[in-house]
Amino acid sequence: MSSSTVSPQTTYSTTMRASGNFDKSVEEMKPSKSDINWLIMDYLVSEGYPGAAEKFAQETNLCPAATVETIRERVKIRTAIHAGKVEEAIELINDADAEILDNDSLLHFQLLQLQLIEIIRGILANNPSSQNIPAQDFLPAIQFATEQLSPRAPTDVNYQRALENTMALMIFQPEKMPQEFRELLDVRLREKVATDVNKAILSARGERAEAKIKQLIRARAWAEVQAREAKADLPAHIPIGLDVADEMNGDAVMT
Amino acid sequence: MGCAYHDEHPPFLTPSYLRQSRHVQRLQRAWDAHIAELQENLQLLPPPSGPPSLSTSPSNANLSKMHASHIHRGPVQDVIERIPPVVDDYAVHPLPTRLSADDKCQGLEILADGGEVRFTGSTKQSEEAASVRADHPMPRECGLYYFEITVLSRGKDAFIGVGFSGRKVSLNRLPGWDTDSWAYHGDDGFSFACTANGKAYGPKFATQDTVGCGVNFRTGNAFFTKNGVYLGVAFSGIKSQRLYPSVGMKKPNDHVSINFGRSAFMFDIDRMMEQERQTVMADLTTADLSGLHPPDDAHTLIHNLIGQYLAHEGYIETAKAFASDVNAERQTLPSSSKTPLHLPNAEDDVHAANRQKIRRAILNGDIDKALKFTNCFYPHVLNESRNKDIHFRLRCRKFIEMMRNYTELSAAAAASPPPPSSNGHADGADNGGVDIDASEPIDTQMELDDQLNRESAPPNHPSSTTSPSSSSSDIDMDASQELSPSKASLMAQNELLAQALAYGQELQSTFGSDPRPQIKKQLSDIFAIMAYTNPNESVVGGLMDAKGRVQIAEDLNGAILVSLGKPSSAALEKLSAQTEALLDEAATRTGGAAAFVNVNRDFLRA
Repeated sequence: MSSSTVSPQTTYSTTMRASGNFDKSVEEMKPSKSDINWLIMDYLVSEGYPGAAEKFAQETNLCPAATVETIRERVKIRTAIHAGKVEEAIELINDADAEILDNDSLLHFQLLQLQLIEIIRGILANNPSSQNIPAQDFLPAIQFATEQLSPRAPTDVNYQRALENTMALMIFQPEKMPQEFRELLDVRLREKVATDVNKAILSARGERAEAKIKQLIRARAWAEVQAREAKADLPAHIPIGLDVADEMNGDAVMT
Repeated sequence: MGCAYHDEHPPFLTPSYLRQSRHVQRLQRAWDAHIAELQENLQLLPPPSGPPSLSTSPSNANLSKMHASHIHRGPVQDVIERIPPVVDDYAVHPLPTRLSADDKCQGLEILADGGEVRFTGSTKQSEEAASVRADHPMPRECGLYYFEITVLSRGKDAFIGVGFSGRKVSLNRLPGWDTDSWAYHGDDGFSFACTANGKAYGPKFATQDTVGCGVNFRTGNAFFTKNGVYLGVAFSGIKSQRLYPSVGMKKPNDHVSINFGRSAFMFDIDRMMEQERQTVMADLTTADLSGLHPPDDAHTLIHNLIGQYLAHEGYIETAKAFASDVNAERQTLPSSSKTPLHLPNAEDDVHAANRQKIRRAILNGDIDKALKFTNCFYPHVLNESRNKDIHFRLRCRKFIEMMRNYTELSAAAAASPPPPSSNGHADGADNGGVDIDASEPIDTQMELDDQLNRESAPPNHPSSTTSPSSSSSDIDMDASQELSPSKASLMAQNELLAQALAYGQELQSTFGSDPRPQIKKQLSDIFAIMAYTNPNESVVGGLMDAKGRVQIAEDLNGAILVSLGKPSSAALEKLSAQTEALLDEAATRTGGAAAFVNVNRDFLRA
């Protein structure tokens, strides 16, 4: 009827009820501790945290899904790739399971491409002036490309493109290099390849390639978008509870 | 065996394609709770028949006996009628289960418990027909809903329309002809979307044909199938709420059966459901994580969540090892964008160490030690009224652990070959075979002793000869050293059983008067363990499992955390619960993509 019928009190209590309701339903949805422990063990094993996996098994009476040795094996490979020691990593992968790279030619190509990039990176680093790098300095890189990568390139246009882009690193002057080429020199590429290698080893062993907790946090973000799009009655901000301040807010709403 | 009311209550209906649906799992839980409630009420009823002496007897034994005996059907039905079934609650949006006996046009006969409908009236005018709706609308929380009909009419001139409509749509017409109703008609194969002007859609259908109707609440599309073959999208933009599966007919003796999922569908709807799920899961991987806990990226966020959980729960050694593993990884990481991670340090927290001690004791089955630690570090926790149940369950667990010790000892005694001194079959044992003859007398003797013990101290005679309380579970092994090993083991077994029994009596006298049915049930469940020579493989085996320790350990840990003024759950648990709650909010409102995601099934297990 009139605006006077809606007192500030009503508005206040309505919003309080809304967030209180949501908090209450969150409380009812609490997962069991053993589910969460499983989720953590799954992560420690698949993402390669052997020490933690071992201790967690002891402290929770849970069995790790893989032996600590196989986790350490993957960690060693990861460390080698992170350090740019691609050749060593390829050897370690073949030691772990020779069929992985035979069966996954894309992954093998990516590793060889990374190896080429690391060779080029080394050459660029040896010439700090980077103005006029003598062409013969690049010979080892070209030799590696012709021996290892060019035989694979014709099998797939993507390989061909990737090889062309990588070779271009030797032609551009570093400061004039376009962004898409510069990205190849970004060390984060090592992390990406290391992740792909880890996934490949896990699936070769019949294990899940991705830890479930990664999907869970994405689901959390996604679900909030869905709920807000559906015009659900939600608190303006839903803290996940990692910060002490969040907790105090949460308590204030509860009381 | 068996309960009479199951004849009245058909088993809960879960269509195969909705087996993983969060909504249907919740409906099932509500249903189970309802059945349990019915059972409780059943027990409270005075016995309708049987010897009158029973009804005057106040003892527990007679009550449970009464429950086990057959109860006359009449009063059971009374109970069912008095308690409105939970699944009919409008707020919980149950699944359609049958054709409605009321929401139908005159001249229609509902048969086979709502599984069939037949037109018994006379031929309708061209504008008229006779329709019926299902008992409940299709819940959009399912994400996808599907049902099938099969035309049973004799002759070739069946005139059937199948689809869905709102509650207010006239039942004197075929579905599809009016506002808020959509259908596929068998006489011409046309689809009708809220209008009498149909569009060519699929083949005609008639006697012996099975036609399926599905609504995808994520896309707003509806489709039909004929004899298991997908016919394509018939309607789009379906937004209305509360649409009921509906079937209409025009010819006398038109006859249709309907399947809401009680039997297998002709069309492979399970596969479509799985494809829908994959689509949604693929969309989910594109989610933007930046708002969850800025400025954390996924990697850092996960490390923070795990680190906080480990500290919160008191997994001190794991927390240490995790921090060191993570930092070792960070050192090898080439990119400098990552800031060093400060994981919460569980070591600083003396409470974390205490809690870990208590948890360890419970996980090892040493409940006495756990109780001692708890009373020493947090003397008030177990006395708080809100933790009464935890205290009760801890003590029940102690009884279970005593029975476990007893069972283990018995099993070990039965498995180990009898020593030569106690029998004359030493040569036989050397053959490598199990010397059954030699061990049999011991087993028999053991069982006899068990029986004697049990009979001498039934729970309702607290003043029996066995020791009334057993504060110490230690066995006097020194005394038995002098005896032969099998004898000693036998004595130890009997001692353990006697102690367990005494402890059970203590439990009964402390908690037996508690009026709550779950307390009574737990007590009778755990006491039942004593009835089995090999409880691990009996019906009570689940209770004996060491896994049962985990739950009570976690509950006690949570109670201590609350008493310390900390949140009872860690951020990771909260995040998981929030995900579920947010999915619910979204699915109830739109039945969209969120309906296809199930936190428990999709993320919390392999």
